[in-house]
Amino acid sequence: MTSNSPCSSGGCAGGGNGNGGMNRRSFLRTSGVLASGIAALAASLAPLRDLTDYTSAEQFMQKHYKELSKDDMEKVLDRITREVEKQYSIRPHVKDYKPMDGVEFVYCLNLTRCIGCRKCVHACVAENNQSRDPEIQYIRVLKMPHGSFDMEKGDHNYASPTVPEKGFFYMPVQCQQCKNPPCVKVCPVKATWQEADGITVIDYDWCIGCRYCEAACPYFARRFNWTKPSIPKDRINPEMSYLGNRPRKQGVMEKCHFCIQRTRAGKYPACLEVCPAGARKFGNILDPNSEVSYIMRNKKVFVQLKEELGTSPRFFYYFDV
Amino acid sequence: MILNDRKFLVLAAMSVMFLALAAAFAFNLWGRTPPASPIPLADPKFVDTSPSRVAIAEFIRKGGDPSDYDCDICHEKNKPIKIKFDAENNIILPKEHADIALSHGSHKRNNNCYNCHDEMNLSLLQTRDGKQLKLVDSTPLCGSCHGPTYRDWEAGVHGRTSGFWNRDMGEYSRLGCPSCHNPHSPKFPGREPAPGPHALHPVAKAPAHNEAERNHE
Repeated sequence: MTSNSPCSSGGCAGGGNGNGGMNRRSFLRTSGVLASGIAALAASLAPLRDLTDYTSAEQFMQKHYKELSKDDMEKVLDRITREVEKQYSIRPHVKDYKPMDGVEFVYCLNLTRCIGCRKCVHACVAENNQSRDPEIQYIRVLKMPHGSFDMEKGDHNYASPTVPEKGFFYMPVQCQQCKNPPCVKVCPVKATWQEADGITVIDYDWCIGCRYCEAACPYFARRFNWTKPSIPKDRINPEMSYLGNRPRKQGVMEKCHFCIQRTRAGKYPACLEVCPAGARKFGNILDPNSEVSYIMRNKKVFVQLKEELGTSPRFFYYFDV
Repeated sequence: MILNDRKFLVLAAMSVMFLALAAAFAFNLWGRTPPASPIPLADPKFVDTSPSRVAIAEFIRKGGDPSDYDCDICHEKNKPIKIKFDAENNIILPKEHADIALSHGSHKRNNNCYNCHDEMNLSLLQTRDGKQLKLVDSTPLCGSCHGPTYRDWEAGVHGRTSGFWNRDMGEYSRLGCPSCHNPHSPKFPGREPAPGPHALHPVAKAPAHNEAERNHE
């Protein structure tokens, strides 16, 4: 029995040798092992240093987008401005664009005219500050054989020397801005929702990166930042919006948002502005004089992609003849 | 003494474990697969928003030399030139106009200069109903044959409309026919496609439509 020993509780380092303390040798040995242990622990935690790139305390404490007051939003925009300036040495103009009254956006794409040049893909990347390496592209252009709408036959890796190729048509696919969006339903944290003008948006500060929305989307329209996005400083677009093209961080989802920073300021989206064939048309479907309303009335608007799923896209494909 | 040794052993084992962990992180033993190869930045020409070609109106507006379009330097007014055709009813262009490739329409009926150009005054265009138009205002002339397309164009639906969809918030601009189509051979020439998607990691390729194309990649 050791009931009379002062070290019985196990609290003394040199216990058991009868000196009632630690001798020099065991002290050196213990402290040496402890020091190397702590150093090893610190070294093994090195990857955590990257965490500072993910979230600042300010961002962590931030409320949900819909609960932010005007003052809160100003502070948030200020934080984003500082973060972008620190990372990309460029002072951005970050705004929180709100939907306009009496506006519902619709996109129409003319399959007769599209030549498959993929300029829209890259105009989108440039406008919306997508990561360049790895490159995140919101638009996929499917090369499809004439006479079929079988998506299984679509090829989006075509690299022919010139387009268009005989016997094929080209179908760009991007976020369809569904009226009944499955991606919104599955989000466990309400980080993505549909706005009054029909744009489904993502709050990148609220997204937890679970990728449920990516799995739910029947159009493969959502992209995940698997790695830290990399954008050369001279390719940053400084006109930014909170729900749109501000730089994202690793571990969040992103997707086409109809260029919120352009369209909610009255402009056409970037993919439309670059189209050399004039195949892309965009506008307010609630305005009977808009181009998209003309198309709905006069053209063979024949497909909402995978309409049998009941997602009811706001993105329409049509033919000229 | 037994207790001390056990502590020492545990501490040493933990140190070794953490060191191994640190080394594993440092050398990325199980970490992310590095991307296959760096992705080059897209060529700026693929984000250029200027139209496919420079129409004469745009050319003059930007300060280009319009003397090439002054037909009267060579041609005399009111003296129509007879157009020559070969046995297959193809137009024979003089060497001064060898740069023109006339393939407007898949038939051979639109092979006559005077279908569009005014034979009495070559600096002007004429519609089928006898109206005269300047070279820079050719769009209604195109519309005299391409009715449905012209109607779409007037509605802003054929060809690109740029600027502001919301006309209350800013200006918008329309392009005329020759900003995209060469009037002498209006079909779009083939162009190089911009790079497609890059896989995060090397992946098995999807089945191709034809082998030659896949080999090109």
